[in-house]
Amino acid sequence: MNNENLNWHFVQDSDGIEDEDIIRFDLDDKTFCIYKLQDGFYATDGICTHEAVHLEDGLVMDDEIECPMHQGIFNIKSGKALSPPACDDLKTYPVKVEDNKIYIQIS
Amino acid sequence: MNSKEKIVILGGGQSAVYAAKEIRNYDNKVEITIISEENVLAYERPPLSKEYITNKKKLDDFIFFNSEFYSKNNINYLKNTKIINIDFQNKILFSQNNNQFLYDKLLVATGSLNRKIDPNIKNNYNKFLSLRNNEDSDNIKNKLKESKKVLIIGGGFIGLEIASSANELDKEVYVVEMNDQLMGRSIPKKISNLCKKIHEENGNKIYLNTTIKKINFYNNSYEIKLSNEEIIFVDLVILGIGSIANTELFKNKDIKIDNGIITNEYCETSQKDVYAAGDVSNFFHPFYNKYIRLESYQHAQNHGICAAKNILGIKEAYNSIPWMWSDQLNINIQLTGLCDDFDEILQRGENIEEGVIDFFIKDKEIKGACGIGVKGKIGRDIKLASKILEKKLKINVSNILDKNFNLSKMLKKV
Repeated sequence: MNNENLNWHFVQDSDGIEDEDIIRFDLDDKTFCIYKLQDGFYATDGICTHEAVHLEDGLVMDDEIECPMHQGIFNIKSGKALSPPACDDLKTYPVKVEDNKIYIQIS
Repeated sequence: MNSKEKIVILGGGQSAVYAAKEIRNYDNKVEITIISEENVLAYERPPLSKEYITNKKKLDDFIFFNSEFYSKNNINYLKNTKIINIDFQNKILFSQNNNQFLYDKLLVATGSLNRKIDPNIKNNYNKFLSLRNNEDSDNIKNKLKESKKVLIIGGGFIGLEIASSANELDKEVYVVEMNDQLMGRSIPKKISNLCKKIHEENGNKIYLNTTIKKINFYNNSYEIKLSNEEIIFVDLVILGIGSIANTELFKNKDIKIDNGIITNEYCETSQKDVYAAGDVSNFFHPFYNKYIRLESYQHAQNHGICAAKNILGIKEAYNSIPWMWSDQLNINIQLTGLCDDFDEILQRGENIEEGVIDFFIKDKEIKGACGIGVKGKIGRDIKLASKILEKKLKINVSNILDKNFNLSKMLKKV
């Protein structure tokens, strides 16, 4: 890991993670979702902006995550809320994979 | 459509505003007018029985679109306007304050009305509260503040959601249901019994197979005699005994009504240039090959959008697979498809913590699925069930039963 930037946090090894898998990552009092899409890993806040439920149990379809409670849909790459009842966007975070290890950048 | 044509949307709910939005997406010339009886812009209904009552959300938090949206999109939104008569021949709507509105195409999206059936209830109706709009929810919220014991008549979704909110506000809650299960109109018995257990574990008292025999009103408190002869004293009574399609305007008018306005798969009614969408419509569903009337968030929105397209001449059949949810206490209930026609029921999941879903199977296909679980635990599988049933895929029993089997794999085989 590049220690020059301390905002990168190790999540887990990337081996065995399949497309459309969701990894939950907790740091202090914050929680995040890391998604494996066809073209790589992406991360958003872990909690749906509509109601307090974790998106780790949601369904990934192409580049979208659907909330498991009320089917609000967000674009994983942009965080944009696409379908009601979700109306506020999700915050997104950079993710990188080095030496088969996944890192998320949380500033 | 001719650019000068007038589209009038009757009703101020989810179907109405999503129809207006969709029409504008395709056509920026046609005139759009929404006529609503309510004095506020269209808002989401689900929070009214939950977060609004428990003060977690304000009305502004769940308005669909703000006033800038309507002005920017040139959508004329008339609030506080009650239509009392209609002339189909000349295409005119008449309002209570003597205004007339001409239309070329009319979308009826008047939603539903609370049912008032039981004579004991009818005679006392004015003393009780019920929930349909934000003002009703305000009344319940205010009355709950000064109440300790609450009786809810009717164990359907609304009644149980209010029971959950009242429980959260530390009220003593009684729910009386005349049938042998809660939410009997749509939720299978096993799932409903799990829900009953959660309510009881949280202290709510649930009476099944029970009706109200007598009600006495003394000094702001009610003495309620139940059909099992038990007497309970409460200081607030809330009705949640279901709803009926709001077709009042069309009494004795030349339009086919049977448990709602009859519409075909294109949202067309029996009256030329009149469409209906949402709760008010009893619509033909081509996937199930029968007429269905639904009262749900997803349906209201999708049906309004579909009606909009057909109004504009973009022929599109409404084939959306039904889906609905209810949040009660710490649990989430979801249902997709229809659970009333099956050969066998397969249960996936063993407990509320991981979620329990019953799959209703006929001819090796999923016809419906209904589940209950701690918030977030059933939605994924319910959505996948919906996709699998829509594609009419043949299922493998062991895959459904095995909670560790990822149902999305069934879709990828295709």
